[in-house]
Amino acid sequence: MKKNIFSKIMLLSIATTAILFTSCKKDDDTGGDNTPTKGTVKLEFEHKWGMNLVPFSMGVDIKQPKTGDTLKFTTLKYYVSNIKFKKSDGTWWSQDESYHLVDASIPSSLIISIADVPIGTYTEMQYTMGVDSIRNVSGAQTGALSTANGMFWNWNSGYIMTKAEGMSPNSPSGDYALHLGGFQGEFNVVTVKSTDFGGEVLNVSPSATPQIHLVANPAKFWHTNPGVKTISKIHMPGANAKQAAKDFYDGIFFDHIHP
Amino acid sequence: MNKTLKISLIFFVLIFISSCQTSEIEQPEQTLGLFYPDYVSKPVYGFEKNKLTHDGIQLGRMLFYDPILSSDSTISCGSCHAQAHAFADHNMKLSIGVNNRMGLRNSPPIFNLAWHPNFMWDGGVNHIEIMPLAPLTNHLEMNESIVNILLKLNRSQTYKSKFLQVFKKDSIDDQMMYYALTQFMGSITSFESKYDHVKQGKVAFSSSENRGYTLFKTHCNSCHQEPLFTNFSFRNNGLDSVFKDLGRALITLNHSDEGLFKVPSLRNVALTYPYMHDGRFRTLEEVINHYTSGIKHSKTLDTSFFENPIQLNPN
Repeated sequence: MKKNIFSKIMLLSIATTAILFTSCKKDDDTGGDNTPTKGTVKLEFEHKWGMNLVPFSMGVDIKQPKTGDTLKFTTLKYYVSNIKFKKSDGTWWSQDESYHLVDASIPSSLIISIADVPIGTYTEMQYTMGVDSIRNVSGAQTGALSTANGMFWNWNSGYIMTKAEGMSPNSPSGDYALHLGGFQGEFNVVTVKSTDFGGEVLNVSPSATPQIHLVANPAKFWHTNPGVKTISKIHMPGANAKQAAKDFYDGIFFDHIHP
Repeated sequence: MNKTLKISLIFFVLIFISSCQTSEIEQPEQTLGLFYPDYVSKPVYGFEKNKLTHDGIQLGRMLFYDPILSSDSTISCGSCHAQAHAFADHNMKLSIGVNNRMGLRNSPPIFNLAWHPNFMWDGGVNHIEIMPLAPLTNHLEMNESIVNILLKLNRSQTYKSKFLQVFKKDSIDDQMMYYALTQFMGSITSFESKYDHVKQGKVAFSSSENRGYTLFKTHCNSCHQEPLFTNFSFRNNGLDSVFKDLGRALITLNHSDEGLFKVPSLRNVALTYPYMHDGRFRTLEEVINHYTSGIKHSKTLDTSFFENPIQLNPN
């Protein structure tokens, strides 16, 4: 009899322990079987130059076809955020904490790795060039949004969403610096971009890592704005920043998907 | 002891050990609240994500007084924000940064910051947590990069262990640094003045203080609004007819904001001389003289100076 009670207690203990162990599992585990339900997508930014989309390199003299300026880029950095994919059933998947800093001087930053995308077929994507207004007014952040990246204005709070700097003999000061930002009112540069995959599909599976190629064209900073002889420095939100950012962001396009 | 009982006990113990890693034995430090009297509105910064703790405030204080945050380890936050002057500068018109570089505006005092919707004379900084970014990196002030500051902090065993204690993280990042500084600066409050004691019914104003209070309510309270003694608006109080410093317009790019500066609190005002964004007035008497007879006209002059000119001697 006594032994029976102990056995019951023991059984209860085992059961409770088992429950607690299970309850400690992470939410993203999928119950019993171990079939993966998620995959990784890579998003690559490729830089090409001018109307003919010739290869673009940092640190070499390159001619801007429209203004005729000779430019040598030393810095090209921009934020890409809030990445979303549209499934073929019409539903959207959004990446959590989706803030990425692309830095043309750091090759690894040109390829954004997006993990934990549910497996399936996707036909469109949406992403934001810049950082949404809420993160511009929410105090200290981490990761890509850390102030250690030098992409936050110290005197006029807000992210420098795109930074392009370099040397040019055509600039009166010998250099140029375009610090483009602004998250409110008429000078808001935050730009949401949508693109379908032009008939191609994005197949997310555990066994492959498809890579979406987007092309960005830094010559577009001067698509509308005059050359560096007239505007060599942009250091705050305003009409010049808005125009340069708009032209650069408008010029980003979907190229292809590596399955 | 019965063998089965022993096994049962082991399982029971296991339950507690295994009941999730988050319930560590460690007791979290008690979080503190910001004290303020009931006649003061709720602060805009509530320490929700950045929990106010005794250790956090101490760590923020240590950073505040540490010159290693500047490029040549000569200037700390406390160099230009002295406690004896309500955390304004040591009665300097403009503050001196590294290499004797002269700043552009008068250092404001530090108190009741959790109530400020924005910071700096022109309101350019929009959040208390990233406020330190400006003086830390401005080349006229502490002239250091955030990357270097984090390198220096992470090299220090003292800082590493203190940050670990407060934020439970091994590596110090800029958010942790801002959080700690915010805990210190945001917990400095001014609610023990004679005014507060009168409000709380503990003491009474003298008859001359009462006359001053009446004059204040007639002429000053619209901008220097009780009980914080500022409504945080931007005003052109008639200092110049041609502006050397465009003030608020540097941030908004609106012509109508030229020559406007943030209304400072009048709490601790006897300690924070000299006055105005450029420290042009040495004494409170000079300030009063300005308001009674020195107002200069310009297109953005605040209309209150037309409607309700300050007449201290109406007879």
